[in-house]
Amino acid sequence: MSIPATIAVGYDGSPSAQAALAWTFRLARASDATVIVVHAVGLLARYEGEREGEGVSLELEQSVGQLAEDVDFDTTHLRWMVANGDACSVMLRTIDDPVRADLLVVGSRGQGAHAGLLLGSTSLQLAERAQVPLVIVPMERHLDEW
Amino acid sequence: MLIVNGPIEDSEHQDPGHPERPERLIAALAGISDLDLGDDMTVLAPYAATRAELARVHDTSYLDELGAFCYAGGGNVDEDTYATYDSWSIARYAAGAGLAVIDELERRGEGVGFVATRPPGHHALRDRGMGFCLLNNIAVAAGALTARGERVLIVDWDVHHGNGTQSIFWNEPDVLYVSTHQWPLFPGSGGSREIGGYRALGRTMNLPVPPGTTGDVLARALDDVVAPAVEEFDPTWVLVSAGFDAHRADPLADLALSSGDFASLARRVAGFAPRPGRLALFLEGGYDLAAVRASTAASLAALLDARYEPEGATSGGPGAEAVARARAERVIAIDLALESEEKETP
Repeated sequence: MSIPATIAVGYDGSPSAQAALAWTFRLARASDATVIVVHAVGLLARYEGEREGEGVSLELEQSVGQLAEDVDFDTTHLRWMVANGDACSVMLRTIDDPVRADLLVVGSRGQGAHAGLLLGSTSLQLAERAQVPLVIVPMERHLDEW
Repeated sequence: MLIVNGPIEDSEHQDPGHPERPERLIAALAGISDLDLGDDMTVLAPYAATRAELARVHDTSYLDELGAFCYAGGGNVDEDTYATYDSWSIARYAAGAGLAVIDELERRGEGVGFVATRPPGHHALRDRGMGFCLLNNIAVAAGALTARGERVLIVDWDVHHGNGTQSIFWNEPDVLYVSTHQWPLFPGSGGSREIGGYRALGRTMNLPVPPGTTGDVLARALDDVVAPAVEEFDPTWVLVSAGFDAHRADPLADLALSSGDFASLARRVAGFAPRPGRLALFLEGGYDLAAVRASTAASLAALLDARYEPEGATSGGPGAEAVARARAERVIAIDLALESEEKETP
């Protein structure tokens, strides 16, 4: 097993995504990996004004910066990927060129999730499809514990 | 003669504030009313697709999961897509409507079908819903036709790429899937190098165009790029994923078409049908209600020679270069795939 060099983490600003990102930053800090923060622009996001290639909202950007600061992660090892699509498909795209992520990380429940049911779970859809290791970070523990 | 599915009570499939809402269908139906078709229109009895009919294009495990999800009260299928308690039933009627329309067209041997339903379908994959779509309505109809030995052309002029339809028929040689769509845009698929799987090389054609593209560009693309491929494919049926979100007023995209352009596209697509009674349009996207109404009316008026004054056709926008590039890239991709297939054949 090799140490991951490029970690793609799904991020929509939800508490679950924050937990996943904090965990990823800590792993990347320990392993000197690059973190790709992946934000999917779905139909509703587009309806609300988001665009691929135009960056994310200031609020989202600031929340990522704050989390990096909280866990002492060097943001020169951080890149954004803002891409059109549903969260599952966009995460899967990071496995291929040009990103070539060798580890995917998501929270157990995103903005669109529905607790306790199979549908509505990006994490479970990814678990069925990902061709690289996938980590699903639960959010039952406090962020500080990660 | 216009053959329309029977409207059903769909108001229970809605989520407050969501753009995929019951008023969309009301707008499309108003567009039909604007044509004053009288006896030149037949409204069919509602029909819900059976499990076997859905299972031609969807995994049964997904059908079970979706049904159970709805009956448990529904919720968010993904970040864009919702389902309610009634959505399973409403989606089955939406998928069945196309089956009823093609059966009636076949029986009559004349007319044009219009499948006015929601939720839309072309993003729905074999094993999951997405992009406002739960079941792939046009794929259910095309799957029924190919099961009878028909050869089906699907033209998808919705502003978004129909990733679900493309994926379902990726390796199906009896379906030619053609999509014009804005690029880049959701769902991020639909590149010109996506040409179909090894059993159906060239049976997928994607023509992505940039924001601002006008109707003249898409009309020329149908004439110059799509028509030769259709002639070679020789379809026995033509189905259209008729989204009206490429209209310039649509809030989810940036193409610049008018209702008059949809009339022009409809006329061209009708020319691909082998004989009368072999053409059906399926409502997909379209989120500006006035644009949906006017574009539905303009498209159907063009097909039925009905009196209707649509907005003027648009021209002068970008996109011609993108179409030319897509055409060239597609030829190269097919050549490379064939070359690679030859190398692998002992």
